[in-house]
Amino acid sequence: MAQFSRTWWGQRFIAALEEFTDPARLGRGRSYASGGRILEYTLAKGTVTARVRGSINPYFGVYKEPIYRTTITIKAISSADWTKAIRQIASRADLVTKLLMNEMPDTIEDAFSGLGLHLLPHSERDFVTDCSCPDYANPCKHIAGVCYLLASALDHDPFLMFELRGLSRDDLHTELARSPLGQILASALVSTEVPVEPVESYYTRPIREPAAVVASHKEFWTGAKRPPAPLAAASQASVPALLIKKQGDYPPFWHKDVSFISVMEELYDRIRTKNRQMK
Amino acid sequence: MHVIHGTWIPDDAHEFIESGAFYLWVETDTPPGTSRRSADGVHPRHLAHTALATFLMEKLGLQEPVPGALARTLCIKYFLLPTAAGKPSPSFELLRYVDEEEPIEFDLAPWQVYCFQVPDIITTLNDIHFIALNAAEDFQLGADLLFWHQYSQALKSIIAKDQYIPALKYRAISSTPPKGKRAKNISSFELHPAWELLSDTYETAIQRYVAAMPGVCTAGLNSPDGAALFGKESLLRHFSECLLHNVVTGTPFTAKFDQQIAGTLLYGCVYPYRPAPPQASADALEDYKHWLAWRANLTRAHTEAGFTLCFRLEEAPSTDVDNWQLHFFVAARHDPSLRLSLDAYWHLKPKDRIEAARPFGQDFEKNLLLALGYAARIYPTVWDGMATDHPTGCRLTLEEAFAFLKESAWVLGDAGYTVIVPAWWTPEGRRRTKVRLKTALRSPKGAAAAGPGYLSLNTIIAYEYQLSVGGQLVTEEEWQQLVNAKTPLVQFRGQWMELDRDKMQQLLQFWQTHQDEVPEITLLELLKIGTEAEDDLEWDHDQNLQDMLSRLHDKNAFAPIENPPALQGTLRDYQKRGVAWLQYLENLGLNPCLADDMGLGKTLEVIARLLKEREEADGVRPTLVIAPTSVLGNWRKEIERFAPQLRTLVHQGSTRLKDRQIFAETYQTHDVVLTSFALARLDEKLLQSMEWHRVVVDEAQNIKNPQAAQTRAILKLAAPHRLALTGTPVENRLRDLWSIFNFLNPGYLGKEAQFRKAFEVPINKDNNMAKSATLKKLVEPFILRRVKTDKRIIDDLPDKIEQKMYCTLTPEQASLYEAVVKDVTEQLNEAEGIQRKGLILSTLLRLKQICNHPAQFLQDGSAFTAERSHKLQRLGEMLEEVIDSGESALIFTQFTEIGGSLERYLEHSWHYNTYYLHGGTNVARRDRMVAEFQDPETEPSLFILSLRAGGVGLNLTKANHVFHYDRWWNPAVEDQATDRAFRIGQRKNVFVHKFVAMGTMEERIDAMIEDKKRLSSLVVGADESWLTELDNDTFKDLIALRRSAVLE
Repeated sequence: MAQFSRTWWGQRFIAALEEFTDPARLGRGRSYASGGRILEYTLAKGTVTARVRGSINPYFGVYKEPIYRTTITIKAISSADWTKAIRQIASRADLVTKLLMNEMPDTIEDAFSGLGLHLLPHSERDFVTDCSCPDYANPCKHIAGVCYLLASALDHDPFLMFELRGLSRDDLHTELARSPLGQILASALVSTEVPVEPVESYYTRPIREPAAVVASHKEFWTGAKRPPAPLAAASQASVPALLIKKQGDYPPFWHKDVSFISVMEELYDRIRTKNRQMK
Repeated sequence: MHVIHGTWIPDDAHEFIESGAFYLWVETDTPPGTSRRSADGVHPRHLAHTALATFLMEKLGLQEPVPGALARTLCIKYFLLPTAAGKPSPSFELLRYVDEEEPIEFDLAPWQVYCFQVPDIITTLNDIHFIALNAAEDFQLGADLLFWHQYSQALKSIIAKDQYIPALKYRAISSTPPKGKRAKNISSFELHPAWELLSDTYETAIQRYVAAMPGVCTAGLNSPDGAALFGKESLLRHFSECLLHNVVTGTPFTAKFDQQIAGTLLYGCVYPYRPAPPQASADALEDYKHWLAWRANLTRAHTEAGFTLCFRLEEAPSTDVDNWQLHFFVAARHDPSLRLSLDAYWHLKPKDRIEAARPFGQDFEKNLLLALGYAARIYPTVWDGMATDHPTGCRLTLEEAFAFLKESAWVLGDAGYTVIVPAWWTPEGRRRTKVRLKTALRSPKGAAAAGPGYLSLNTIIAYEYQLSVGGQLVTEEEWQQLVNAKTPLVQFRGQWMELDRDKMQQLLQFWQTHQDEVPEITLLELLKIGTEAEDDLEWDHDQNLQDMLSRLHDKNAFAPIENPPALQGTLRDYQKRGVAWLQYLENLGLNPCLADDMGLGKTLEVIARLLKEREEADGVRPTLVIAPTSVLGNWRKEIERFAPQLRTLVHQGSTRLKDRQIFAETYQTHDVVLTSFALARLDEKLLQSMEWHRVVVDEAQNIKNPQAAQTRAILKLAAPHRLALTGTPVENRLRDLWSIFNFLNPGYLGKEAQFRKAFEVPINKDNNMAKSATLKKLVEPFILRRVKTDKRIIDDLPDKIEQKMYCTLTPEQASLYEAVVKDVTEQLNEAEGIQRKGLILSTLLRLKQICNHPAQFLQDGSAFTAERSHKLQRLGEMLEEVIDSGESALIFTQFTEIGGSLERYLEHSWHYNTYYLHGGTNVARRDRMVAEFQDPETEPSLFILSLRAGGVGLNLTKANHVFHYDRWWNPAVEDQATDRAFRIGQRKNVFVHKFVAMGTMEERIDAMIEDKKRLSSLVVGADESWLTELDNDTFKDLIALRRSAVLE
């Protein structure tokens, strides 16, 4: 993964971090994030607490691989302001719908700016960070690394940003339940684990039917009905990849930086135009 | 006859990934090498090995790189086929070419067959289908292959719409740990990249095709052991998935693309053969779950909501051009006419909303938001209307509105939303800028100003160019202003419309250089250009021309002619309209094709036309009628009956006039000359040197082969008018259509090769509806085809229409007939009493046999061919029209031997589905035949009945034609038989055709019955014995052959 976030809101989060962090530490933070050195992190009451595996550094007197404790707190929004902000969100179909589709609305700040607030961090003042490492600088590479991981997690869970701002999931539900559109969103947030769908065979298995009844000699050879009237000549899709476009770009299983939709468009197009049987 | 079969056979691998292949085989009624006894279990009627390879190359045009290569690729497969008495029964298609009965009781047993594995299934099947369409003289497709062809085309159109997604298949692998350890199943899994078809269209297609799938499609096997048929739905899905897989993996991709998908799910989907171990890591499982959720959302977007989201664009007022409104509303999925606008919905009180939303499914508001959100992903402007808690629509600027109309509306439509645009945007209402051709009829040189019905033979039309927008004339300045408009969507004279500035600029330049010209074209050219260049040209016809063209396109508008006073009979209303139409086209110099259904009286319409033109003018030259020999007699008979004053010359037989001089003198004293197709060629020089008023080609499908000497000879005949008659739906047979037009209006449909490229291949092979519509429009003014089921026709027709079909004897029949008559005449003088009665009855019997066919009389096993009996020939021709019109017929005869011969003849020579019921048919079999014949799913068929067997309790209402091949001289018996088709439940008019051999006792007895019927003095019993009461002289006169009625 070259980029930690492919959504605009995740990138906004990173941009805020990058504004007040030394570039060298950012670089190491990125390798911490992708190198599996962040062992775990938890989020409670608006504070992220992580355990990060540090490196041996004789200069700091570190001779054995240390585990550091890193905390990041994003400046919380008061619960009274949350009530107002959620009321704003729940009065706008566009915001609710985008959240319903698991996207951060690009106009989300409309709901906060009236309160003199913002949801996404945009400067140092939004962050309160701490790390047990001996590095004098704050943020250090460990803090940067945890932030990158958070940005990546935000991509698939825009509500994480609400939580980082101090609104727990339970409170979110309570606030949403106050308005009709909010209720719709609240009901959709109850996530259910998708059960796996095991299959017996790669293709649908052709089943033999030893007891199949052949009604008559004629039906055996010609069928019970005539085949449906042929359709008009295959008209090509006026816009490619329409089916998958409804689910937006970068589905969670797609880890590349190149757009999933553009790749699928090219694939469909080549099949339509370059395949011998489709011409 | 060869029948090409084929089906999809799954590999019997019993592995996780089990593919399959499509195999083709050929069944034949004449298997090569029948002398050798075929080995056990080998299908006795199929093309094996080299015979199959030869067939594939010679008939289907397959190529092989080196000789023998194709044969080496053939393989052996097995088919579970209905088997009775140790033999596989022939397929339904082959059954009519072999002397076998369809088995009622049978088992399914495996039969070994040589097969060809089909590459590129979609294209190969389409090619074979196209070849068979035109060259099906000695091979045809089996219903199974036809089924797969049609299904693969349906699948192709689904794939072409991108209605499939990359997928992951989760394979659970459970392994039992070794004994002794704690009993705990270790579960693991593999994830396989795959493709999945995902659309409503696909699911609908599966359901519809499963219902139509022949059993034989499921009967293919790789080995003969332990076999059973496949379930239809599972087999069809297996085929579809494998085919999609093959299409995707058979597509070439670029290295750059490969790089883009490297390491993703797609790489495995596209390259399953570059083995990467199936994914089994926790990360892969995570991705799989993400994929599952993604797919669940995709399907939900399609099917979960109980409504369709709709958009309606409302145009801006002219005072506020940037104020277009796009309204949101929903239509119920189960009843799209049930609609609710969101504006109305939000205006309801919250508690009333629940009730209002009920028809639109559960979770209405949630699904509504999601539907709007998905739509907004495709058309982001929708978001603009959603910055509120009650979204009802959004406002568009002029530019946005144009973009919406031009593209987004289509995209939303394709994505399953309903979009309603202003009426002026629809194709019909679409206003366009065109160069307009202002046309005026120009009087031909020297012609007096006659009424519009009497124009010249080659109507000339003069035209000039004008600029026009939306059907209105504009000046150059106005045009220029429009070209300079900033937006492509402008309001012009109170109406919104789209302008294409580049095209307008071109049109302007064209107009500037041509505005002073006044070119001329013929009416024929006008019809051609008007149809072909519809998009760029607009016509402003002067009133006369406008009337003329609208009449040509609306044939129902023709006022019926007056019944010609000279006609001995009354035309039906539609016949009067038909004659008016003929007259109108001929006066315009256009040559028509009268294609009314058989039985509606085309001959009579032509006769009426001949009388009409003689009423109107003197000295009309004769008309030459070219028809099959078998109908010449009928033509003569009809003319004699309805217009005896028309002087008719039959140019036929050895005594015909061959000398040019004599012929030239004679033909001038006649109104009609009748001749056959054969003589049109043989006496080519003679006929071509005469000047005809009109050439009529009856049964015009006879000139379908443009290379045939006969066709070429007919094309050379000189006449100002040409007329084609046919009873077949000529517009559906493109090659026939071209040939007929090449005779009528040469050049109108282009040269043969051009026509093939422009119309035949696109229509027949690519199913191109637009081309089909253009062609239809081109030929429509020239073809009058009324079918019996037309509302206007039905009202004119009685429920039962009886017609006599007069046929002449062939020379062979005539000489046999005369020999019998001579023999009987001598015996009759000596016979008395019972003996005399017997002699009379047996004579009638023998003469009837001769009239039917010489082979029946001779009983020597000689060939039952149409050349030896005009009656048989005519029957075949008429049945062709019946079957081609999608109708079924009953054929009655008194003779079992004729019934059997007819069945074979119709099956083998005409390839028709035929049933034969006679005294020896058992009840079970009879009931099954009747049920099958009546089944609406059975193709149009023929049912032969012996008059006696057919007499009881049969209901054959699917037939609307009844043929009496020979006559039972008792009208009551005949009527009773006819009523098999004409029964309660019959919704169609029934046509009864009674064959009468001209000049023979058949004609005379028929006349006697008609006379007696008229005088209501007919006393007849249940049989023909009343004929034995005639005295000797009357009887001799009755049976004597009128030589004049015999054609050679």
